[in-house]
Amino acid sequence: MKKNIYLPIQAKIEEIKEETPAIKTFVLKLEEEFSFRTGQFIELTIPGLGEAPFTPSSDPSVKERIDVTIMNVGAVTSRLHEMKPKEVLGVRGPYGKGYPLDKFTGKDILIVGGGVGLAPLRSLLFSLFSQIDNYNKVVLCYGARTPKDIVYKESLPSWAKLKNTEVRVTVDTGDPSWKGNVGLVTTILKDLPIDMAKAVSIVCGPPIMMKFATLKLLELGFNPRDIYLSMEKNMSCGLGKCGHCRIGKFYACKDGPVFSYEDLKDIYDIWD
Amino acid sequence: METYFLRAENLLSLYEHINQEYELFVPIKTKTPFKVKCEYGFNLPSDDYLLKRFSEVKKEDIVFSEYRAVEPTRAFFTHFKEEIGRYFESQEGKGAQKPLAICGIKNCDIFSLKIQDYVFLQGNEEDALYKERRAQALIISGDCPSFKEACFCRAFEINPHVTEGFDLNLSPINDGYLLDVASDKARKMVDGIKNILTPANAGQLSGRAAKRDSVIKRMEEHLSCHKIPKKDTLQDIVLSGYNSQVWNEQMRTCVECGGCVFMCDTCHCFLLTDDVKEGSPRRVRIWDGCLYKNFSRVAGGANPLRMRYMRLRNRYLKKFDFFISNLGFQACCGCGRCIDVCPGRIDIRYILRRLYEEKHIPAHSG
Repeated sequence: MKKNIYLPIQAKIEEIKEETPAIKTFVLKLEEEFSFRTGQFIELTIPGLGEAPFTPSSDPSVKERIDVTIMNVGAVTSRLHEMKPKEVLGVRGPYGKGYPLDKFTGKDILIVGGGVGLAPLRSLLFSLFSQIDNYNKVVLCYGARTPKDIVYKESLPSWAKLKNTEVRVTVDTGDPSWKGNVGLVTTILKDLPIDMAKAVSIVCGPPIMMKFATLKLLELGFNPRDIYLSMEKNMSCGLGKCGHCRIGKFYACKDGPVFSYEDLKDIYDIWD
Repeated sequence: METYFLRAENLLSLYEHINQEYELFVPIKTKTPFKVKCEYGFNLPSDDYLLKRFSEVKKEDIVFSEYRAVEPTRAFFTHFKEEIGRYFESQEGKGAQKPLAICGIKNCDIFSLKIQDYVFLQGNEEDALYKERRAQALIISGDCPSFKEACFCRAFEINPHVTEGFDLNLSPINDGYLLDVASDKARKMVDGIKNILTPANAGQLSGRAAKRDSVIKRMEEHLSCHKIPKKDTLQDIVLSGYNSQVWNEQMRTCVECGGCVFMCDTCHCFLLTDDVKEGSPRRVRIWDGCLYKNFSRVAGGANPLRMRYMRLRNRYLKKFDFFISNLGFQACCGCGRCIDVCPGRIDIRYILRRLYEEKHIPAHSG
């Protein structure tokens, strides 16, 4: 019988890093050859319980292992958060189209992230950093609810030191130790050191944040075709067959999950 | 394609012959406990047909079905709930079953199989299990000499007889059937029973053509009062009717039973899930339907289809926008199974008509 497209390959948890009280990064070692392009997603399986879709947060050029940064929100993720190193999972994929890196060459790149939405963007950042001379400028604007909810706390300052790179972080609500900006991520989308005529923007975060970030970017003069959004849908099969993740004439799993706003802007209720 | 004449009393011999190599399903008639009233002239049949294993039914119960069966044809190719694999095990040696031969398939079913084939065989990757079942199956279609009240294939220019997509086709004529043989599989099958077949003559062929024309004419008369919009308007009216009141209004009687999606022959949505059987976890595929509340819910709790009217609208957008954009034709074959099954009497013909009138007849808007 031919390959079973619905079954995962085996993966072992090598390491678990706690990013925030609700978010952990799982380092997975895959038992079979596996590679992905930045922005593509996987279905992570707990055999006997089920699957959920995630976009790996690691550098796609690293083949031996992948990082998946996961917030504890549902049935699969809450079980994942109880798991320990050496436990066995399944991985299916990668699925979808990922970020169109070829369209970013020579551009000023504005990356807007919210909450655990920084996970896919971290993979994108690694891809950009590895060929930083291909891009004019990389600006990351990241918002989290509180200082405790910021992911990749150790990496953010080191990214800020990289060539042609700027990192801005804001929180919705500060605490006594927080010295940075307080306010929604849209409040740091101003005085941007980018040339709007040759800029692209990539947005990933909760739907409400994506909506207001997109509106802000349009207000700043971004062309809808230069705004890339990661659409959150309940992809089940990942193959464009199960029907769950339809957005207009697209499936998020097959035609996305990254879409340009140009492709989505005429579809009703995309932020729901 | 070759066409033979088969005497009525030899139909069972044909079935017995097919059943030697295939797991044959044949139509039996079942009395519907309620009558569907037709208010504008035609006296239409309300009995139903079920497709049962040839080996398990009484021979005298086997009939030639006059219209499509109750169950959607897709149920033969993707099962309502089935194991599709065990984890981290070799998958070889599975799936060696007797191939299916399905009798009582109608042209609406053949149309729907085009949608199922698109979903499971095209795109990024093909579904090996579906492919195997589909490739092995012998499709034995039949003309519809009659139709149910809910039938509306002709509204979308689909005929109540086949022209493609079948292996064997039976057309009832006076004292028997014309048997069309359309594939190599079918040719191999009839080779063994040539003794009960004679080549069809010109009179029989023209008789069949006249019968087919007369069914189409009768059906179009039946459909005229429904004013179902033409197929080239469907995409436009579901998109322009996005904010129509019809969705909310028609959903008032919906009890969320999911009957419309499960009986639908062009619906294909499923859920991949897991359970544990005999101590080992396994991957299971279950039919899912967009009329269910959690169809589009994500783990964080957001649910783009949280209201019932959104789910009804979603179903129409999928059938008449998504599929027309991606495949070039609508995912509705006019079989009327969703109409027959609905305890809330939600009628796709009426909804499409309303959407059309709201767009094109100003007095109907609002």
